[in-house]
Amino acid sequence: MAAVHGDVHGHGHDDHHPTGIMRWVTTTNHKDIGSMYLWFSLTMFFTGGFLAMGIRAELFQPGIQILEPELFNSFTTLHGLIMVFGAIMPAFVGFANWQIPMMVGAPDMAFARMNNWSFWLLIPAALLLVSSFFVPGGAAAGGWTFYPPLSAQGGLGVDMMLFAVHILGASSIMGAINIITTVLNMRAPGMTLMKMPMFVWTWLITAYLLVLAMPVLAGVVTMLITDRHFGTSFFNAAGGGDPVLFQHIFWFFGHPEVYIMILPAFGIVSEIIPTFSRKPLFGYSSMVYATASIAILSCIVWAHHMFTAGMPTVGQLFFMYATMLIAVPTAVKVFNWTATMWKGEMTFETPMLFAIGFIFLFVIGGFSGVICAIVPIDIQVQDTYYVIAHFHYVLVSGALFALFGGAYYWLPKWTGHMYDETLGKWHFWLSMIFFNMAFFVQHFLGLAGMPRRIPDYALQFADFNMISSIGAFGFGLTQLLFVYIVIKCIRSKEPAPEKPWDGAKTLEWTHLPTPAPYHSFETPPVVK
Amino acid sequence: MSKEEKNTSGTFMQVAKAVLAAFMGIRKQSDLENDAANLKPAQVIIGGLIGATLFVISILVLVKIIVNLN
Repeated sequence: MAAVHGDVHGHGHDDHHPTGIMRWVTTTNHKDIGSMYLWFSLTMFFTGGFLAMGIRAELFQPGIQILEPELFNSFTTLHGLIMVFGAIMPAFVGFANWQIPMMVGAPDMAFARMNNWSFWLLIPAALLLVSSFFVPGGAAAGGWTFYPPLSAQGGLGVDMMLFAVHILGASSIMGAINIITTVLNMRAPGMTLMKMPMFVWTWLITAYLLVLAMPVLAGVVTMLITDRHFGTSFFNAAGGGDPVLFQHIFWFFGHPEVYIMILPAFGIVSEIIPTFSRKPLFGYSSMVYATASIAILSCIVWAHHMFTAGMPTVGQLFFMYATMLIAVPTAVKVFNWTATMWKGEMTFETPMLFAIGFIFLFVIGGFSGVICAIVPIDIQVQDTYYVIAHFHYVLVSGALFALFGGAYYWLPKWTGHMYDETLGKWHFWLSMIFFNMAFFVQHFLGLAGMPRRIPDYALQFADFNMISSIGAFGFGLTQLLFVYIVIKCIRSKEPAPEKPWDGAKTLEWTHLPTPAPYHSFETPPVVK
Repeated sequence: MSKEEKNTSGTFMQVAKAVLAAFMGIRKQSDLENDAANLKPAQVIIGGLIGATLFVISILVLVKIIVNLN
C-alpha cells in the first residue's frame, strides 16, 4: 500500500458546468458519470428485484397461481440479464469512475467524452430489455444464457434482448479501455503499479478480462442474429450448424464474466478490511498475483458449465481439474483477508460488517462451486436449485454485499454527509438473515432434485420453497431501507468528518477534502 | 522500491519464477520489488502466455495418463 504523506488540501476550482438536465447529459466529469452509473444500477437492481419477487411469489406454493408459465420464463430470463448486465456490472463501473481517478491521483478518466457515451448507451439498452415485455410474443424466455434453439425461435422480444446485450457489451468495452488507459497512463508521480490500491489493481485486471470477453459475446450475439434473420446456420443443426457451438462460445465469454463481476468486489473488500482492522493489507503482492492468477485460470474453465451437453472424458477431466485449481488463488485471497484482520484493532462499522459478511458467505459460494466442478456431482445438480443457490451466494452475498460495503465506505467522501450507522447495521443484519433464508434452503431443494426455471413443483418441495420465498421478500424489502439510508445521507444537514475512517490510507482520504471537490487532482499529488 | 533499481530486462529464470508465482498467487514482497524493477511488461506477457500453454498441456497430459490407466 502506498505510504502517502502530505496535507489534506482543498482545491478552489470553479465548479462551472451546465445546470439542470444538461449537466447530466453533457457531463464529462468522472464523478457525475460515476453517480449516474450508480443510480442507473440501483434502478436496474430494483427492476430485476421486482422480477425476482414475481418468481418467488409464484414459487411460494406449488401450482400455478400468479404467472403463466411463459411469463414466468420471461421473468427468470430478464431477471438474470438485468441483474448481470444492468445492476452488478454498471455498479462496479460506477465505483471505478468515482474512485479510480481519485485513488491514482488523476484529474479524470482518460477518455472523458467516451466515458459519457459508455454511460448513455446503457439507457436505450435498459429500455429495450424492459419494454420487450410489452411487444407481441413477450420478452425473451429462453434463460439469461439465451441458448439456441430457444433463442433462435422466439419473437421480437428476443431481438430486442439481443440488441440490448450488444449495446451493453459495447458500453463495457469502452468503459474497460477507459479504465486501462487511465490506470496505465494517468497515475500520480511516484504511484508505481505496485503501490496502487488493491481496488485499482482488481479493476485493471477486470478491464483486461472485459476487453477479452465482451467481443466474444458480441460475436456470438451477432451469429445468433444472422441465424435468426439472414439465413445462416451457425447453431442450426438442420442447416449443418451445431447448437453446442453456441454454448462453447457463450461460456468462453460467460466464465470470465463471472470473474468480471467478482474481482472488483475483491478490490472493494481489500480496501475495507485493512481500514477497519487498522493494518496494511496482508500479502499485498500475493493479492495482486492471485488476482492475475484467477483471471488467467478463468479463461480455461468455461466448459464446466456444459458437462451435461456431452463431451469426451478427457474434456470433462480437463475442465474439472482446471476449475478446481481456481480454489487455490481464491483461498490465497481469503487467507490474506483473514490474516489482515488477525490482531488488528478492529471496529465493526457497516462497511466492515458487509466485508466480513462477504468473506463468510462468498466462501460458502466458493465451496459449492468446487462441488459443482466435480463432474459426477455436476451431472446430478445441473439445472437444479443447487446451482441457483451457488451462484446467488457468489453474486448476491459476494458482488452485491461488496457493493453495499463500498457504498457505505465511500458515501461520506461522495456526499460529504455521514450515513445513519444504526440503520446501516440494520440493513446489514436484515440482509444477512433474509439472504440466507432465501438461498441456503435452495441447496436442499437442488439436492432433492428441484429443477430451475420451472414455475411449478412437486409437493415435497413445498416447505423449503415457502421459506425461500419469505426470505426473498424480506431481502427485497430490506433493500428499500438502503435507498432510504442513501437519500437520508444525501439530504442530511450534518457534514461528515474530513476523514471518518482513521485507518483509511488511500489518496482520496489522505489528499482530498470531504466531500471530494468537483475537480480533484488537477495538480497531481506526489506519492512517496 | 528496491535498491538496485535498473531498467534492464530480467533473465529467463526470473520471468519464469514471476509467472509461476502469478499462477500460484503467492509472492514475497522483496521478490516482487525485484520483478517490478527488472522485468519488462512484454516479457511478463509472453512469459504468461507460454506459462498458460504449458499449464494447459500439463493438465492435458495428466488427464491422458489417468484416462489410459483404465
